[in-house]
Amino acid sequence: MTDLLHLNWGLLAPELTIVIIATVITVADLVMNDKGDRRVFGWISVIGIIIAIYFTVNQLNNPNGVEYLLNNTYRVDSFGSLFKLIFLVGTGLVFIMAINYIDKKEIKYDGEMYYLLLTALLGAMMMASSADLITLYIGLELLSISSYIMAGMKKNNLKSNEAAYKYVIIGGVSSAIFLYGASYIYGLTGTSNIIEMASRLPNAYHGDYKFYVYLGSFMMLVGLAYKISVVPNYMWAPDVYEGAPTPITAFLSVISKAAGFAIITRIFVTLFVPLVIAVDPKTNQQMTFFSHELALYLAVIAALTMIVGNTMALRQTNVKRLLALSSVAQAGYILVPLATLTVVSVNNIIFYLMAYLLMNIGVFTVVTIVNKDAGTEDIRSFAGLYHRSPLLGVAMTFFLMSLAGLPITAGFIGKFNIFVGALIEDAYWLAGVMLLTSVISYFYYFNIVRQMYMRPGHTEAPLRVAYSLQLVILLTFLGTVLIGLLPNVALDFIANNLNINDMFNLGITK
Amino acid sequence: MTLTGQYVAFFLFALMAITGGVFMINLNKVIHMVLSIGLSFFGVAGLFVILHAEYLAFVQVLIYAGAITIMMAMGTMMTHHATAEVLPRRKWHTFLAIISAITIGGFFLYGIYKITWPSEMAELNDNNVMAIGEKIFTNYVIPFELASILLLVALVGAIVLAKKEGDE
Repeated sequence: MTDLLHLNWGLLAPELTIVIIATVITVADLVMNDKGDRRVFGWISVIGIIIAIYFTVNQLNNPNGVEYLLNNTYRVDSFGSLFKLIFLVGTGLVFIMAINYIDKKEIKYDGEMYYLLLTALLGAMMMASSADLITLYIGLELLSISSYIMAGMKKNNLKSNEAAYKYVIIGGVSSAIFLYGASYIYGLTGTSNIIEMASRLPNAYHGDYKFYVYLGSFMMLVGLAYKISVVPNYMWAPDVYEGAPTPITAFLSVISKAAGFAIITRIFVTLFVPLVIAVDPKTNQQMTFFSHELALYLAVIAALTMIVGNTMALRQTNVKRLLALSSVAQAGYILVPLATLTVVSVNNIIFYLMAYLLMNIGVFTVVTIVNKDAGTEDIRSFAGLYHRSPLLGVAMTFFLMSLAGLPITAGFIGKFNIFVGALIEDAYWLAGVMLLTSVISYFYYFNIVRQMYMRPGHTEAPLRVAYSLQLVILLTFLGTVLIGLLPNVALDFIANNLNINDMFNLGITK
Repeated sequence: MTLTGQYVAFFLFALMAITGGVFMINLNKVIHMVLSIGLSFFGVAGLFVILHAEYLAFVQVLIYAGAITIMMAMGTMMTHHATAEVLPRRKWHTFLAIISAITIGGFFLYGIYKITWPSEMAELNDNNVMAIGEKIFTNYVIPFELASILLLVALVGAIVLAKKEGDE
């Protein structure tokens, strides 16, 4: 029996920081006067997140390689730490948005909102740093349940109620499908540790239980698809994104989606890349379950997602619905490297998620400012933005260019890498779909740009922007442009810190 | 297949679990739904007993059939449900739902029946309460603590979303 007290609990430092801040906020919220200003909780959380970022960066340079606690129910590896950095930075920016967005008339329980954002972040972090299905699943649920509640925070708004309701039902059903699929794989291998599972799975596969491997992997994929809103499970996205408070929409579209990619990559790459189904007689190469069975499903899902997301976005007039479908399409792009798996695929995914984080948070910050000023979420609320606030207009143009994947932006580099990756693996049709749907996406992204520059607004008065929001826009703008101009800095950072073998490595414990 | 007592028990419990679920979806009054989901929970508890998971069966009865069903019944009584809502049924919807459910269910059943399982019994720990307890509080202590945060979140969420605003 392991002695719990002698374990290296310091490994949990980033998560524990978040838990402690969340606890402090809950207690302080109870003690505080009902009319007290709760924005201070938001700032405390931002400080907590910065401390957690410090711990995570330290773990990134861990000389010991992979370290784990308690049979890999928690582990620190480079893959998880990079994803955690994305979650932490993203949530930090969402916090600053939320602090400025929350209006006591609409969201009565703002203290709880900060608390739930932190627990959702905790869930996301757990989804990235475990090699055990049970921890991964509880992390997933922690993120999901916090998100359901946050989507319904505007209690007197019918759309917000609808969002929470739809989200909880679709999320619940998807969870059930995921668990049903996972139960097959668990039944075949008798362990919930995915690295041990991966070592036992070939026995089951070659011992006449193929059907269960297929069924299990397929149902897990369908169940997890809702978290990244791709084709079998994307229909909730427009309604939920429209109804949820805008900072929460940003959270769902960036952090929640990145967490979904973390858990999908973790489970599917770890489980099915080592599973060799046959040896090619001609080239003597091993054919893995991942690249010869799963990759086709993933490619079809990615292609359908890109097509559906981009074409449906064309008809939207509500800017949040439009961005929801745009984020569906973006998830399709990010699935392409998984469908055409090479040694740099995970690097490409992480790079694209970093770029996506910057540009999408930027877009949603501008949307928050503009919609709040106009009192509507219609796309026409952007009319004349350039004349009212030139800098905001230019920043928004860059974010949209980045989402569309045009040069000198981070989005371009990310998309280009994914595109080249698909070509190297001879997935020409997938690359073709990606190119074609990107062109389609120009129509709706530039529709917003046209509104900003060429349509007269309802007023010419300059738009006032809070300093903290200016900071968010400045940071995301600089990030988008600098990564676009000097992509090697970010690419090298990922390449130096990510060791893909970590995912298959049991690691050490002290 | 011989008709053993275990087979009969399995059949009964499985029927309970399934009919409970079907009634839950198709009945119109909330209190009837609550009772049928209770039936379903008892059926599942029975299945756990057949599988020699007595502790899980006990928890299933105590928490699901007991606490949750009673809670829902109490909640139903305290809120107003004077009229049972009858939702308009869309014929095409029902038709397509039945077709897809049968296809998927048939596919699963086909696959499951085609595979022969090894027939020897696994060694089961007689003292499975102790085994579960040891596992949870050593190996799985991190997900266990995480689950407690999850419950706290659910609690906070339920209060935030369901609380009636008195002062407005």
